[in-house]
Order: sequence, then structure tokens, then C-alpha cells
Amino acid sequence: MDITWAERIDLFRFALSAALIAGLVCPLIGVFLLLRRTSFYGIALPQFAAAGVVFGFVLLPWWAQHIGLGDVTLEMALSDTHAVMNYHLAWAALFTFGGLFALVWLGRRGGSEIGRVAAAFAIANAATYFFGRLSPVGKSFVDELLQGEILGVGVHELETIGVLLGAVLVCIFVFHRDLVLVSFDREFALVLGKRVVAFETLLNALVGVGVAAGTMTLGPTILFGLIVLPPLAARPFASSMNRFLLFSSLFGVLAVVGGVVVSFEWDFPLGASVVAVAALELLPALCMRRP
Amino acid sequence: MTLIRLQRAAFGYTRRPVVAGVDLEVRAGRFFGIVGPNGAGKTTLFRGILGLLKPLAGSVESSGVVLGYVPQRETLDALYPLTAQEVVEMGAYRRLSGLRSVTRADRDASSALLARVGLGEQRAARFAALSGGQRQRTLIARALMTRPNVLLLDEPTSGVDRSAQARILAILRELHREGLAILLVSHHLSMVRESVDEVLWVARGTVRHGSPSELLKPEQLDELFETEAAPEEA
Repeated sequence: MDITWAERIDLFRFALSAALIAGLVCPLIGVFLLLRRTSFYGIALPQFAAAGVVFGFVLLPWWAQHIGLGDVTLEMALSDTHAVMNYHLAWAALFTFGGLFALVWLGRRGGSEIGRVAAAFAIANAATYFFGRLSPVGKSFVDELLQGEILGVGVHELETIGVLLGAVLVCIFVFHRDLVLVSFDREFALVLGKRVVAFETLLNALVGVGVAAGTMTLGPTILFGLIVLPPLAARPFASSMNRFLLFSSLFGVLAVVGGVVVSFEWDFPLGASVVAVAALELLPALCMRRP
Repeated sequence: MTLIRLQRAAFGYTRRPVVAGVDLEVRAGRFFGIVGPNGAGKTTLFRGILGLLKPLAGSVESSGVVLGYVPQRETLDALYPLTAQEVVEMGAYRRLSGLRSVTRADRDASSALLARVGLGEQRAARFAALSGGQRQRTLIARALMTRPNVLLLDEPTSGVDRSAQARILAILRELHREGLAILLVSHHLSMVRESVDEVLWVARGTVRHGSPSELLKPEQLDELFETEAAPEEA
């Protein structure tokens, strides 16, 4: 039996809405990662979040027995991950912020940024499989996220990503001027009397929250793509900083819309389809030369 | 009027002083040049005056004084798609916070400052696409946007051609004539000799203070550099 586009959109409205929110906000996080030359964080941090989610599954029996999961039993938590969404989100956030803190702290000691991030990715990736061996349920959950199968996103996940990425969007909108200033010319910002450390901490917090919420809800695959690719596609067309932010979000939303079409028409996983369309958006950028 | 006062100030890193015992008074309308051999501590002293380094000993007083800082343009990443005007408007950010956006008056002021440094036509151009001299003049306009009492420049003529050097120097002389205090780090000794009122010679962890004619005589330079030929002029 064929189902119409309208029926599909209605059926998967939570997943599509969550993907559109991510398409709008994640590229803005990516803009700052790109400009600060830390784009690889966009690849390593979701892997930390994934490791955190699986670790949460490993700890789930102990947690249910000693601390409790409210009204939810261990069996319910293992069979329906939506039931303990906040528990998993907390572990994703803890590991993301842990990874981010380690990268920032090691970055202040100098050395190769790329080498550091590559090592972090390797460790987080290995940790995911290591914890996955101890919790097959957690491993299968993360495998689903990695494949970009996000159509099962429910109202709770949508609310979570809406609130958290909404907060990230508001912060970027309010503070984007100062965030650009401290990123572009830290010393000038210090001389102006700006609270540089506070803004740098805010930026790291926005990255951490965005990555943790995005990984838990949509998975690392779509998050990698939406953080890294739209800003790269938008940069050659941006004649000012505000346009760079605007175009990046626009490319992100277009990637989601295009990905939905590809996924529904040809039955591909939605997350991977979004990333494939975001990659296609790079083609015009590759044809242009800009400093 | 004294704008910046250093008394027996020492600056350095990880508690190890690079320059020590610095006494300095920067008064309104004075033009200072900080010169010395490479690695002698010019930048350390400059960062100390800017407040980017806390003194390890002594004191630095500049309360209530607005410092207009012009960094070396190479320190700024060309990846940012900022226009020249957006860069200059950063000078107004001290007066803005949160949602308050750059005002029409700030925008007009930034346009006027870009015109003043000879870049009125380039205000919508990408900062990264400007020549070295143009970028340096944009940064001078940005510093002026802060409405400074003292302009502090770090090697403003480094790596630019002679005509760009001349334009930058002409702007600085004009600002000096208008009564702005200027403090500049430079390794272009001829430029310093011709422009400044006072020289701060940084060498071997100490700072000597005097007039250009006194400190920048060839025989003096030989002695200071501990070499027969004074290193001169890029």
C-alpha cells in the first residue's frame, strides 16, 4: 500500500521537526568551530556523546537498583529508550563536556591540534565499542543512531532538542557579536574590557549542549554533517559575518529538506540522506575561490 | 595630564621577569617609540602597558584611560568573512552589550574613520582581501573607533611596502598633531627617529628612556646592539 507524502510527513512529524531544528542550529555551532579552526571537534565530540550513551546503558542495571529511575523499571528502560531519555542525555552531556574540557585543556599546552582531536576520536570510538560489548542493548541503540535512522524520534526527543537547541540559538543570537570578537581578536577584546573567558566558556557550553542533545536525539552521523558541511558550503558566498551565519543555517535547513526528499523517494536512511545532500551543497563552494 | 604611569614595573612570563624596573609616564599628546633588538622584551613591555600582562613587580596605572590597541595584522585569521566596516565597528563593542546593536551613529563613525584612513571605498570589502597596508589602516580605524586617549600600535609598518609605510606614518603624525598620545613598537629605526618625541630602548631586561637624537645616534646604536653595524631599516 502506497502512503502519500502528507501521510509520511504526518507520521514522522517529530523526527522531521527535530531534523529541521538541528538543520537550523547545528550549522551555527559549526560556524564558530570552523572559524576557530576546531572543526574536527564537530567530529570527535559526537563520538564522545555516543560513548557516554553506551556507558549509560552499561550502568543502567546498577543505577536502577541503587538510585532508581522514577516510575520506570529496568525492563522498560531497556526495551524503550524514550522512557529514560533524560538519563541517556545526561550521560551524553557528561562525556561530551568531559571530551571538550580535555581538548581545551590540552590545547592550552600547545602541540598539534589535529593530532589531539584524532587521538580523542580514536579513544571515544574505541570506548563506544568497549562499552558496547558490556551492553549489547546500548550498542544496538547507538548503531541505529550511527546509521541515521531517526524516524523513531518521539515527542519527548523533539521537546528535548527543541528546548536545548532553542537555548543555543537564543544565546548565539544575543551574543554572536561578542563571540565573534573574542574568536577573531582575543587580545583586542581583552583591551576593550570584555569578559573573554566567560564568552569562551559560553561558546564551549553551546558546543557541548548542542552536540550532546543532537547526538542523543538524531545521532552522530547527521550531527557531523550538519555541524561541518553547511558552514563550508556557505563561506564562499558570505560577504559579511551576519550573512555567513544566515547562509550556514539556510544551507543546513536545505540539506534537511533535500535529505527528506531523498530518503522518502528512494528509501534511504534519513540521516545519511541529509548528510549526502549537505555534501552536494559543497559543489558550488568548490567552484569558487575566496580568501 | 598623565595617562599611563609605570613605577618600577616588571613584566614577564611564569614569574620570570623579561623587563624590570620600568618607570614611564605617558602624557597626553606625546609620541613614544619602543625599540630594541629582537627578543629584548619590546612586546612584553607593550603587553604590560596594555594590561594584557600583570606586573610581576611595581605598578601600572591607567584607570579611566581608553587604550586604542592596534595589533599586528598577521595575528588575525583571514578565514573570518568580516568586512572592513565590521572590523572597525568592533571598536564600538566596548559600549555595547547583549542585544544592543551597533547604532546608526556608530555606523556613520566607522564609515568616517575608514574614509579618514583612506579606505572609504573599501568599507564593504572583505578584510582578508585587503592589502597588508590597507588591513593595518583598518585596524588603526578600529582602534580610533574606541575613542582612545592613547593609541598603542604593535609593529604597524612591519611587512608592508614603502608607500604603505608612508601612508600609515602620515596618519600617525596627523593624529599626533591633533593631540593623541601614541605609543608604537617598531624595528624601523629611521621611522621612529623621524616621528617620535621619546624613545624607550629595551635591551637586556632594562628600558632606557630618552630623545631620538640621544638614543638613536649611530654610535649609540653600535653600543646598544653590541655590534659594529646597527641593524637598520627593512
